[in-house]
Amino acid sequence: MSFGAIFALAIGLFVVAPILAHWLRRRRTEDKPFPPAKLIPRSQPTARRRSMLEDPSLFAVRALSVLMLALLGATPFISCSHVSATRKGGASVAMVLVLDDSLSMRAPMRDGEKESRFDAARRAARDLASAMREGDTMAIVLAGAPPRIALATTTERGVVLETIDANKPSDRATDLEGAVALAEGLLQEAPQIDKRVVLLSDRADGHPDAEPIDVKDAEIALWEPLAELAARSEADCAVASATRVDQRVSVRIVCTQGGSAIGRALSIRAPTGAVGSAAIEAPGSTDVTVEIPKDASDRLVVELAAAAGDAIPGDDRAAVSTAVPNAGIVVVADPAKNRLVTGGAPPVEQAFAALDLASAARPLPQPPEHAEDLKESAGLILDDPPGLTPEQRTAVIEWVQGGGVLLLSLGRGAGAAPLGAGFDGLIPGVVRYGPPGADDVDPKRCAFFDASIASLVKLGTRGRAQLEHSATEGATVECTFADGAPLLVRRELGRGAILVTTLPFNVDESDFALRPAFLTLLDRFAEEARSHGGTRRVEVGRDFTFGGAKSVSGSHTPLDGSPKFELEPRPLNGIVHVTAERAGAYDFKVGEQREIRVANLPEPEVDLRPRAIAERAHATELGGKSPRVDISPQIALGLLGLLAAETLVRIVLRARRRKGDRSDDAASPANDDSAASPAQP
Amino acid sequence: MSSRTRGSSLLSRAAGARGAPAPLAAIASLDWGAFAPLRLKSRLVAEGIYAGLHRSVRKGAGVEFAGVRAYVPGDDLRFFDRRSLLKHDRWMVREFETETDRALWLVVDATASMSWRGSGPGAKYGFAALLAAALARVALSSGDPVGLVTIGGAGGRSLPARAGRESFERIVWALESTEVGGDFASDDRAFERSLGPIAERARRGSMIALFSDLVDLPARAARAFSSLAVGGRAVFAVETLDPDERSLPFKDHARFSSLEGKDVVDASPDEVRAGYQARLRANGDAWERELVGRGGGLVRASTDDPPERIAREVVLGFADRARAAESRSEGQKR
Repeated sequence: MSFGAIFALAIGLFVVAPILAHWLRRRRTEDKPFPPAKLIPRSQPTARRRSMLEDPSLFAVRALSVLMLALLGATPFISCSHVSATRKGGASVAMVLVLDDSLSMRAPMRDGEKESRFDAARRAARDLASAMREGDTMAIVLAGAPPRIALATTTERGVVLETIDANKPSDRATDLEGAVALAEGLLQEAPQIDKRVVLLSDRADGHPDAEPIDVKDAEIALWEPLAELAARSEADCAVASATRVDQRVSVRIVCTQGGSAIGRALSIRAPTGAVGSAAIEAPGSTDVTVEIPKDASDRLVVELAAAAGDAIPGDDRAAVSTAVPNAGIVVVADPAKNRLVTGGAPPVEQAFAALDLASAARPLPQPPEHAEDLKESAGLILDDPPGLTPEQRTAVIEWVQGGGVLLLSLGRGAGAAPLGAGFDGLIPGVVRYGPPGADDVDPKRCAFFDASIASLVKLGTRGRAQLEHSATEGATVECTFADGAPLLVRRELGRGAILVTTLPFNVDESDFALRPAFLTLLDRFAEEARSHGGTRRVEVGRDFTFGGAKSVSGSHTPLDGSPKFELEPRPLNGIVHVTAERAGAYDFKVGEQREIRVANLPEPEVDLRPRAIAERAHATELGGKSPRVDISPQIALGLLGLLAAETLVRIVLRARRRKGDRSDDAASPANDDSAASPAQP
Repeated sequence: MSSRTRGSSLLSRAAGARGAPAPLAAIASLDWGAFAPLRLKSRLVAEGIYAGLHRSVRKGAGVEFAGVRAYVPGDDLRFFDRRSLLKHDRWMVREFETETDRALWLVVDATASMSWRGSGPGAKYGFAALLAAALARVALSSGDPVGLVTIGGAGGRSLPARAGRESFERIVWALESTEVGGDFASDDRAFERSLGPIAERARRGSMIALFSDLVDLPARAARAFSSLAVGGRAVFAVETLDPDERSLPFKDHARFSSLEGKDVVDASPDEVRAGYQARLRANGDAWERELVGRGGGLVRASTDDPPERIAREVVLGFADRARAAESRSEGQKR
């Protein structure tokens, strides 16, 4: 038996012995027959009267005071599971909380526990925010891809707490590098000496072998207060995506390293019931094809049967998307005119290929004469066409009005368009080709090209298209030459848009196609084409886009059975964006048309191996869990409050007693006839 | 029609009464203490009682002419003075004085509370019985009839008012043979039933004396007893308490339980003594007010008081009330 145990027993005996002695010595009240007993006033025994409460409210106040005093005395010994930052010499701190709201944060902290990593991270964030003092600043960055600033730097603790509570875990991928960089940026201008990026993440960003996470600025500290948040390489399998092509549904199963879904049943459910199933037979990540009836509903959900040891049960479901042809870019460029000395495809096609965009560029010899030919295309590039026939013009206009994006370069060929083959409907007025003016662009009026504007000097133009004044009316001139003539004009047409350049992409006419700014032009064009086309399947965290839509509304029903919620569309540069926060199907109403779009889980997020972090992120001088808790200011405040309460209670009691005394005087036995009633005590 | 009467004095005759001690029948269930033997002790007490003459206030038919007075409607026409009417044409009635006896009714509380004995020389019932027997002896020696009624108890019996030497023996026997007990605290009707023989049989001018602790009697007991004071009857009560009941001398906290009723009180005597004594005094005061209002009175006694003094106070009290009643009667006539 240790000394501690003996000491504890002695203390216990010291406490129990007086109680036992009291019980042994305790006597029963003597029973005494006494005929006039009813005339005896009642009274409490002395011991009981000593322990009797004269006033419960006063006792409560006193007891609380004693309790708080005891707590005050015990403050140096109190430690609890509480995250707090250690201050350097008590100085104020600038902190940016990097709160990971990705899918992997849905995993439980420990096996069998209900509390998820996100809950623990949010609790730690609350602890840190609650400890904010005057002069401290705090900001919140969410590390789910893409990283976002949930709260800009503020000194308001209430706002911080409110923002923390408002955050919910999403199904996003993780972008720790981006989030940390964003946090660093927020701290750059902070006046505090102590600047910290507080990482509250499981570090499972799908890049376990990448460089350890760290900050670049030496003045900023990276702090991971909850090291136990780190992922433990748990086994997990998820349904990454499911695509339906006619009567087949291709399901992509992704498992963590070491995880396997072998033996687990895969079922495809329609609102009316199961329409198909299969068993997983291959280990690790795999693709499974399931046959479904031809008339199956378009609202299908794939579900992987639950299994013990699966870290995140919530990612075992996915909505089935219907496959659509890849929305590509159609390029119409005359190879003869755009011949290069080095050979190969026209410059626009080569530049497009260099951008390595997801959208494929499909060359066409001439503009299509039917809008149906452009149905599967999101963008159309017409490089200095020699005019458009009425059929071609009608087809292009119809296609643009339906949401297509047209990049039209005008040059010598366009200026020489025969009568009746102009660009009516696309560009108001007549297009002419004339001598070059200024050889440079005006950088102040060419924000469209961002940093690449520097490359648009000395373009070596041999001529340029000239637009009538009516061509720029109602349009946006995105870039002009130094002499004020437009280089790039943007026009809206129906749900689509037209980008017009007054320089062709022919290297014989100018060096425009050889400059980096040209790549910027093509990139922005492709992005806009994608946005207008509206991809029907995105990864969680990306936006659904609706170009040219007059009204967009939508709702989403999460796959985990959470309540359905309405979506909040955001118009941005004429395109409506809706961010997919959770995986599953999204119901949209675009104008009068209904659409179902699907958000899938990001595959890398299923990897639950943690990424390394710099050692200094765990430095003890930064703070951490279970440090001493200084609650003395709060207790002192509480004691002051109790003192005030006691004073108030005493005043009230005194007034009440005086009132009672007066009542007793008025009802004294001398004045009370009833008191003299015989044998009636 | 009333007639002025003059009767033999019970009190004057009681003053010189002497009696031989009689064998005492002990009651095992009662702690008689210093009050036994009752027959002997009562004779000793009776001898110590001073008694004076008293005039009967009873009015009735008599033999000695006492004068005439004006007729008032309601007078007995048998005493109408025809001669005055014929001689003086005035309506007069004739009045007479007569000697008569005055019955003494003894009401002794024999409920359970009377069996209690504290630091006194004996149980309260013993003291009450001693006083009752002594007064009975004095009255009997004067020729007045004496009746006895016990409240509660068992084995005792109510004795009608009788004169004569045997009556004393019967009364002593009845008092000694009564087993004290019973609970009248919450039974008004039982108390009134006990007083029934007196209400029915006591004649005009009777003296009724109650010996009780007055604490465990029902709430309406005072009114029921005082209501006997009608028709020229006089009522008197002797509050018979143990010295401990007067002083509450206990020290330790205790649970006090009454012998009648179900009163149980936890109390520390030192703290409640003053309040208790005030209540006890108030209880006696209430009885006194009730009795004095009916022409009676109250004597407060403890069992350690000299019984002769208490008995004398009772006799004098009856005498005072008799004189007061007589003077009231004469005043009315004038």
